[in-house]
Amino acid sequence: MPAIEQISETLIRNNITRAVGDVFRTMLGRELALRAAAQSAPSWPPCQPAAGPIDTGPHIVGSVGFIGSVNGLLYLYLDLPFARVCTGHMLGMTDGELEEAGDEVINDAIGEITNMTVGSFKNGLCDAGFPCTLTIPSILRGSSFSIEPISSVVRHTYAFETAGHRVVTDILMKIGD
Amino acid sequence: MRYKILTVDDSKTVRIIVRKAFKGYDCDILEAGNGVEGLALAAKESPDLILLDVTMPVMDGVEMLTKLKSDPALKAIPVMMLTAEGGRDHVRNIAKIGVREQKSIASPCAATPWIFQGMCFSPSWI
Repeated sequence: MPAIEQISETLIRNNITRAVGDVFRTMLGRELALRAAAQSAPSWPPCQPAAGPIDTGPHIVGSVGFIGSVNGLLYLYLDLPFARVCTGHMLGMTDGELEEAGDEVINDAIGEITNMTVGSFKNGLCDAGFPCTLTIPSILRGSSFSIEPISSVVRHTYAFETAGHRVVTDILMKIGD
Repeated sequence: MRYKILTVDDSKTVRIIVRKAFKGYDCDILEAGNGVEGLALAAKESPDLILLDVTMPVMDGVEMLTKLKSDPALKAIPVMMLTAEGGRDHVRNIAKIGVREQKSIASPCAATPWIFQGMCFSPSWI
């Protein structure tokens, strides 16, 4: 049975960087750059550049799990205005159309972006010898919250940036039972 | 010749993305939200290609694919699995059922020109 330590931080970082980069490039025409990495929970608000004003506004977080030889959850944080931009671009909808369609369409779009990102990430784990499958996406919305896992979990947080917007991935993993 | 492409996915967002991706091409997009609807639409419309998600309620993509490939009237329809599930073992299991191509891609948009080119210029591939 694999030990969580066999999954190196390099493997995790390379997989998530590739996954996030591919999804945002293909779906949204945006290039993301890795700005920071940590093995702790993201601070609030999570999507902040190193300098400049702090945005304490609402955020949306997509999450998808993976289960198998490695079990985990990946949370994808975006500030709400950027989530709206991403949704409008993906679905070809104007601001007015998004307003009319309501929160559900943004939730669905961010859920799909998260699903694609986690799919690509976990496929990298599969190909490295840690087979696992995806769970269904879920969405959180809020202005100030933290996610606290149980103590046996390994945590890796990465912050990416594109054109002034920050995208944070929060990965929690443990070995499969 | 106007092609028919059936997209089977429980996510309305993905179906919108597929429809948008094929907008500039000479084809009609049919939509189904699960495997049961997909089979019914495939039998009724005889699409030229099916884009098939894996994880769906009611009937998932693997079950729908198995039923397609065991139906003499439907088994010749080419199927492309459009899914985030793309590990090697998964691909191998799907290939055993009869899928020649699987795209575990970030977006249908990335595959669209490739799919349409295949359809227009290599009907034998289809």
